[in-house]
Amino acid sequence: MLKKLLKYEWKSVSRILLPLNLGIVLLTIIGCVILSTDIFDSEQALPLALLLFLFYTLSVITFTGITLIYIYVHFYKNLFTAEGYLFHTLPVTRTQLFHSKLFVGSFWCSINSLLTVLSAAALGFAAGFHAAAVDNIDSMQGLLMDGSIAKTADRTSADFIFSEIFGFSPVVFVIVLVLMLVTSCISSVLMGYLSILLGQLIEKFRLAASIGFYMAIYIVTQVLASIVMIVPNLHLFLDNSDESSKYFLSSFFCSMLPAAIITQLILILIFYAASIFLIRRSVNLE
Amino acid sequence: MTLLKCKELTKKYGNHTALSGINLQIESGHIIGLLGPNGSGKTTLIKMITGVLAPTSGTVCINDKPVGPESKSQISYLPDHTYLNPSMRVRDIMDFFEDFYEDFDSMRAYDMLAKLQINPNCKLKTLSKGTQEKVQLILVMSRRAKLYILDEPIARVDPAARDYILDTILSNYDETASILISTHLISDIENILDEVIFIQNGILHTHAGVDDLRQKEHKSIDTIFREVFKC
Repeated sequence: MLKKLLKYEWKSVSRILLPLNLGIVLLTIIGCVILSTDIFDSEQALPLALLLFLFYTLSVITFTGITLIYIYVHFYKNLFTAEGYLFHTLPVTRTQLFHSKLFVGSFWCSINSLLTVLSAAALGFAAGFHAAAVDNIDSMQGLLMDGSIAKTADRTSADFIFSEIFGFSPVVFVIVLVLMLVTSCISSVLMGYLSILLGQLIEKFRLAASIGFYMAIYIVTQVLASIVMIVPNLHLFLDNSDESSKYFLSSFFCSMLPAAIITQLILILIFYAASIFLIRRSVNLE
Repeated sequence: MTLLKCKELTKKYGNHTALSGINLQIESGHIIGLLGPNGSGKTTLIKMITGVLAPTSGTVCINDKPVGPESKSQISYLPDHTYLNPSMRVRDIMDFFEDFYEDFDSMRAYDMLAKLQINPNCKLKTLSKGTQEKVQLILVMSRRAKLYILDEPIARVDPAARDYILDTILSNYDETASILISTHLISDIENILDEVIFIQNGILHTHAGVDDLRQKEHKSIDTIFREVFKC
């Protein structure tokens, strides 16, 4: 039955989220095309560049926000409004219903986050490539094309430079980044679901209660996450020596990214356990 | 054979008791009218039987099994409002029911749609409210369930449609199955009922056979209802 639930959940959610995320792809392609032209080469084009940058940023934020909000609304509508009478009377367990929504919601949220990062990277790449072409920097273009041709004056490889800045080799950095995005997406989706489930415990104004729970959980998790990520790096902020500032960024990334992933994994566990407990408990449709 | 058993079923909302200590047994092969004025607790009882509302205390069993996936596979439930996604096509909803309910007879469903001249390719939101009600009824009655629970199936449709709905109910249910119909339009359904359950202020007032009650009181069920629930 979970397979069938997943099939219908996928069909239902994709109807909205597929075009929305294709919008990010389209926006990226348009952005890359614009950046590869000479349109911004003159100083007079600065206001236009700022305007387009603002438009792009706002659009991506909107697409990302809508994706997450739609995932929450879809969960709420399917399970706790009139449609709940259909889903809660299907011959399936409540946990199966929950899992189908969690899998599909987390998948789309992750796709959205990855597309957003890839979109920013693609635009950065297009801008860098065009700038290198204008300034006639062959090695820079080569580096951007295959990432390994360029050798700096002190014969340090591009990988090594990357590691010095980001603390990881490019491949490991991408893996860690993807892991962080996926875990934070799952935790965000679960946080919304948990808030909605907590809202159902209240007799009246359940939707308002859900929003209240979401805000409360969000604030608490943000404070905790900040403490977990900043406290271990406190020595980096306090140490003013030259050696320390040289390795500040790489040390920061090295400790922050794994700490962020571990924090998200702990939050996922807590949110998941609480959600499963609540969804198994009872349903009281209005 | 006992199909539905409610034991000391109670539902409270804060200090308000919506349903109190309901003890009820329904045998298979009967059509039962669940009758009571607005706010008497009919829908609350139905919601607890179908598992969309948790009782404060007491138990519900369908074929000796508590409410869960197994009991839900045996109940075909028509709520008192539209519960389908309006952006779905009728055909997609048929596929959905066919996928989830092993007892769904799609041939029967499409046949009923054709008789009512409802285009399966139409989206629900493009249909009138009455037609949407008919689609829901077709879905529910196209299952070969053990227990059909219909909450106010005729309240929001015109008299001509009422006849069609009652005819659909009677001609589509299995003789070994039972139907629990909640309504306050008693005169419309009195002739098809085998038993009646009167609920008043959340308490089970009467549960008796229609013929027995008529003979005992020398009145129609509609008249008895009006006397019992006189304001």
